[in-house]
Amino acid sequence: MNSTAATRPNGLALFILPSALLFALFFFLPIGLMAVMSVLTGNPVVMPKVAFTTRHYVRMIGDPFYLEVIWTTVRIGLVTTLVALAIGYPLAHWMARIKSRTGHALLLMAVLAPMLTGIVVRTFAWMTLLSDKGVVNETLMSLGLISQPLKLMYTETGIVVGLVHIYVPFMVLTLTGVIGRIDERLEQAAENLGASPLRAFLEVTLPLSLPGILAGSLLVFALAISAYVTPILLGGFQIMTLPILIYQQISANFNVGFAAALGIVLLVISLLLVVAYNRALGLVSGQRELQ
Amino acid sequence: MSASIEIAGVSKVYDGGVRAVDAVAMDVRQGEFFSLLGPSGCGKTTTLRMIAGFETPSSGAIRVDGADITHVPAHKRDMGMVFQNYALFPHRTVAENVAFGLRMRGLDKATIAAKVKAALAMVELSGLEDRRPAQLSGGQQQRVALARAIVIAPRVLLCDEPLGALDKKLRQQMQFELKQLQKKLGLTLVFVTHDQEEALAMSDRIAVMNGGRVEQVGTPTEIYNQPTTRFVADFIGDTNIFRGERVGPNLDVGKGLILALPPSEMQGTGVLSVALRPEKIRLIPRAESAAAGSSAHGIVENTNFLGGAVLYRVELAGGHRVLVQQPNAGTSRLFVPGNGVTLEWTPADLVVLKD
Repeated sequence: MNSTAATRPNGLALFILPSALLFALFFFLPIGLMAVMSVLTGNPVVMPKVAFTTRHYVRMIGDPFYLEVIWTTVRIGLVTTLVALAIGYPLAHWMARIKSRTGHALLLMAVLAPMLTGIVVRTFAWMTLLSDKGVVNETLMSLGLISQPLKLMYTETGIVVGLVHIYVPFMVLTLTGVIGRIDERLEQAAENLGASPLRAFLEVTLPLSLPGILAGSLLVFALAISAYVTPILLGGFQIMTLPILIYQQISANFNVGFAAALGIVLLVISLLLVVAYNRALGLVSGQRELQ
Repeated sequence: MSASIEIAGVSKVYDGGVRAVDAVAMDVRQGEFFSLLGPSGCGKTTTLRMIAGFETPSSGAIRVDGADITHVPAHKRDMGMVFQNYALFPHRTVAENVAFGLRMRGLDKATIAAKVKAALAMVELSGLEDRRPAQLSGGQQQRVALARAIVIAPRVLLCDEPLGALDKKLRQQMQFELKQLQKKLGLTLVFVTHDQEEALAMSDRIAVMNGGRVEQVGTPTEIYNQPTTRFVADFIGDTNIFRGERVGPNLDVGKGLILALPPSEMQGTGVLSVALRPEKIRLIPRAESAAAGSSAHGIVENTNFLGGAVLYRVELAGGHRVLVQQPNAGTSRLFVPGNGVTLEWTPADLVVLKD
């Protein structure tokens, strides 16, 4: 009896097995393989003689084009995150504080509704809006505000617009949860002590919602730098980002090793952000235990 | 400088027509410890929040030292508030919490530091300046909240059930300290509580609220000894309430029980409710005869030992059940269930109630 109890301390632990297997098989294994591929001269499955090499990484660092692609990807990610935060925070604050249940339901619907449509569909919708003869340009020109169509499509601006639209819900939902848990009486206490509503927000609500801001930003940034469909359709291959480059390396150049190295770079950028996030959170919240 | 508050016919009607506060009128005098007492949902907290400026009255006016502040935003009211859950800023230290109001007033750093130090000393929290609220006990958090509210020398201090979360011993200690502090600083203090003992122990005056209305305003002794309404008599302490028909100078409350009315109430006709506090009744072993109007025979139904006193429930011969409280005069003098007893009271102790 004792031995069985020792080997099976908790029957519930067995339930974790499927997800653990899934995680190992579809997460750690592929990433491990990708890491290995990125330092091999070729694909060991089709090429019997492969050797270890650092040439993929050397090529990336040596060629300004690839550094430019990495920087473009990061820049699009940062701008998308900041815009999503600027749009998402007020919306999330509103949603978290709204008293009316109907109002809350309507806001939630408004935030979630775009997610019910596929990314491709939404991106095509943006194409009809942003193209040179699209709704935005036609409207502005008919109003006489501009004489030449604005270059909205096939620019980073266009990509950011599309990405923000797609990822704002992630920002809003993350923030709403965090802001909703901040006691409204804290703001009232601040106002009672003489802080204007804006000051109370800046002194109390904003710092307390920092974990949500960081989590939402991290999520949106990671999704934005790995986005593929939107940069292709709205960038039209004029703007090169890491995911597009990776796809080209695999499907057109059959350079799996280089694609793997690019994938690792994408992964490292995300991981560095997670680490930075944890550090930042530790700094702002100190040893604070939430009651 | 402490201020007086005038609440003039204030009502608060929420969307959907709920009348949380209904034509409340009362004056809080300068330097007074004033309690709003009532069951949950009676409108006491809403009234307090309207004084603080977190809610706007639907009608009526609130004046501080004669100046109408009904539509002045909360941050310009210069009032201190201690919240029920303390509402301490979790991301700031004790000292930063206390300094907040001073910082908002634009004081210089040296002045702030000195005032914070003095305020923390006043609530006996010196040495905990750098802790965060989550590292403090409930009692300590309460003191920080108090220090944060009084350090700005508010015109009025508002307290929303500030002691509700503390255990009984600590609560009594804090009651004593808060009262002392209030007297020492001469603060006008509006205190919301549902705990009648707390209100009776601390207040200079109490407003008993029910269903959004003020039932009675008075000193603790007035509220306890001369409740004017049935609700107040029932809500404050234990009481026996009788309702009956006037018959001459007496009240016939049915089931063979006649109560002699107090001398001031002997005139008149009709239906009347009266209250008689359990401790105003004397309990003696069954006497030969009972004087009609001021005594009755009964049998002890059960007893509730309170320590310093014993609360008896006595069933009278006619079937009325009456609560009687007697001081604990020693084991040999206590009654047990089943004992035949006689109740005696003084008609002047009967309090006539408005329904």
